[in-house]
Amino acid sequence: MAQPGVILIEKIKAKEERTTPWNVVVHNDPINLMSYVTMVLMRVFGYPRPKAETMMLEVHNKGRSLVWSGGREQAEHYVHQLHGHQLMATMEKSEA
Amino acid sequence: MTNLRVQPLDEKRIRISGIPPVLATMLRELPEILELRDAPEAHQRLFPNPTVKDENINKEWAQMTTPELRHLFVSAGETVTRDLIALASDKKGRDPQQVIFPIEHVNAWMSAINQARLILAEVHKIDEQEMNRTDFNPVSSRDMAALRIHLLGYLLHLFVELETGGEREDAV
Repeated sequence: MAQPGVILIEKIKAKEERTTPWNVVVHNDPINLMSYVTMVLMRVFGYPRPKAETMMLEVHNKGRSLVWSGGREQAEHYVHQLHGHQLMATMEKSEA
Repeated sequence: MTNLRVQPLDEKRIRISGIPPVLATMLRELPEILELRDAPEAHQRLFPNPTVKDENINKEWAQMTTPELRHLFVSAGETVTRDLIALASDKKGRDPQQVIFPIEHVNAWMSAINQARLILAEVHKIDEQEMNRTDFNPVSSRDMAALRIHLLGYLLHLFVELETGGEREDAV
């Protein structure tokens, strides 16, 4: 039988896991067209063109752009969508 | 390429018109290029890991999600291959040529064209520097792959314009 303190730590860890936001990051790619990446960001996240273009340019100029932040399940869904459009995308736990 | 257009023919169909012979040849080769999606380099690019360092999530993703994505990509390629039958049978026909297909196939076309570009880049190891070149040696398979990526990119850009009215063309 587990000790009460151990159970408490496990509960805290589980809560942290649930509440820590995940970032969805799009990475630079020499092949995908700028116009295509913008279109995908508009489609997947419903972003207006100016916001999608700003993110696309950040990918182009800085190598990556944090395009969304939130719960893990939704982050997985968005990465799946981005991979479905052949964009290089990953998810990572937010450090903030 | 200036006469190349991707436009609605009516409410239900899209027409790619003004296809020059060089692009017609590339489109006929599209199914063959897409068959390389499972070559190790291409597979890694088309089905990347969802995280940089979480091996558990990556492993689960490879088991659960990658087959689903692969099915999606294969299905898009098959749709475009069927649409291209008319072009394939028109080898000695009009010049420039056209392809007409249902409007529901637009996403499949964009997927197949982009898959082909990414596969060519991985198989021929085309990097950013290579993509910025403008001189192509016709006897170099690598140069010809870069040229194909650019020409297919122009066609893809026309599809993006059709979908969004955008105006950019360069690679990210």
